[in-house]
Amino acid sequence: MLLTPDIVPAVTSTGATARVAANVAPRFRVGDQILVNNIHPTTHTRLPAYLRGKRGVIERDHGVFAYPEHHAHHLPEKPQHCYAVRFTARELWGSAVNSRDTLVADLFDDYMELR
Amino acid sequence: MSRPHAGPPESDPAILTRAIESLLTEKGLIDPKALDAMVDTYENKIGPRNGAKVVARAWVDPGYKARLLADATAAIKELGFSGLQGEDMVVVENTADVHNVLVCTLCSCYPWPTLGLPPNWYKAAPYRARVVADPRGVLKEFGLEVPETTEIRTWDTTAELRYLVLPQRPAGTENLSEEQLADLVTRDSMIGVGLAKAARGETRA
Amino acid sequence: MNGIHDLGGMHGLGPINPPASEPVFREPWEGRAFAMFAGTFVFCGYTVDEFRHEIEKMDPAHYLEAPYYAHWLEAFKACLIKYGHITSDELDARIKLIASGGQ
Repeated sequence: MLLTPDIVPAVTSTGATARVAANVAPRFRVGDQILVNNIHPTTHTRLPAYLRGKRGVIERDHGVFAYPEHHAHHLPEKPQHCYAVRFTARELWGSAVNSRDTLVADLFDDYMELR
Repeated sequence: MSRPHAGPPESDPAILTRAIESLLTEKGLIDPKALDAMVDTYENKIGPRNGAKVVARAWVDPGYKARLLADATAAIKELGFSGLQGEDMVVVENTADVHNVLVCTLCSCYPWPTLGLPPNWYKAAPYRARVVADPRGVLKEFGLEVPETTEIRTWDTTAELRYLVLPQRPAGTENLSEEQLADLVTRDSMIGVGLAKAARGETRA
Repeated sequence: MNGIHDLGGMHGLGPINPPASEPVFREPWEGRAFAMFAGTFVFCGYTVDEFRHEIEKMDPAHYLEAPYYAHWLEAFKACLIKYGHITSDELDARIKLIASGGQ
């Protein structure tokens, strides 16, 4: 298809959600304590390296989204839940940082295990 | 596509851009007028004034604020803002106890319908590298000192959710209209690297 | 991949230096490059995640030094060639033509 000026307003005001209307069970519930997998794929991932091997808590379930790891490489779809996961700043950066500070990252089911 | 031959030589990305655009145009794959329309949209029609209207509405209307925090995408759409890079929104509220700040450490994820395109510093390496590990130091570079007793909550927004910070309403603004309140809401306050401006005549703590 | 794009926690990259204000596009080519994402996405065949991965595979030194939208240009190049819409030979030829003032 050709992007023409007349459809630009519709494209910008609609976009393209990555949310998937699939009935996929969540692996985690809000409040669950998780451990981020210590993985180092050479392919595409949305899991930042500084979170790997760290302990966090599920704060919010955002629902089901396309899995970027598969989407990037045209692998079969693997839609799954994406969660806001909270970490203490000290879990990530050690005892020198403020004990109140936290970091929240959006992580997929496949990135974590219960601990 | 044509441009005068006078003037300084183009930088490499400018040449590469013209090369790609001219090839695709010749092949009938892109319409340069559609590119003009995209540029015009994000230069002139979509920007942080949209987000400011969302914030001001939340400040004056508790029902709207509740909807905004519960389902940000739908509440933002109530004001007419939706679409590309704002398909699935989350709004996080600053309070006396929590100050939120946004980043995407892996690229440049940012809520276009409410804030427009991100500033260059948001997409550049120094901010992305440091705000997750040293948010207090980074915020000082923006002139914002957050009390040690306030939690800084940094959101690394690397998936397909897009975030907007709901800044605290400044003191002494009880008599301002929604429109006047929107004028106090800066882009930086909705990223979390700044606060809403103080009302005229008030000094910000 | 553990690439240069995965910046969280890295030291030594310098101050942020946010300007008081800046235009949405600092030079005309930035606007064209930005707009070409929507312009190419509709026909090319790449996914957003694939586009991001092409950026991740950029030369790391170029990634850090190049202006932001130059990242997108590298991904356009890679995707357009991969999906057969342009060849690297015709792109090189067109770059030479433009650089020599021929177009």
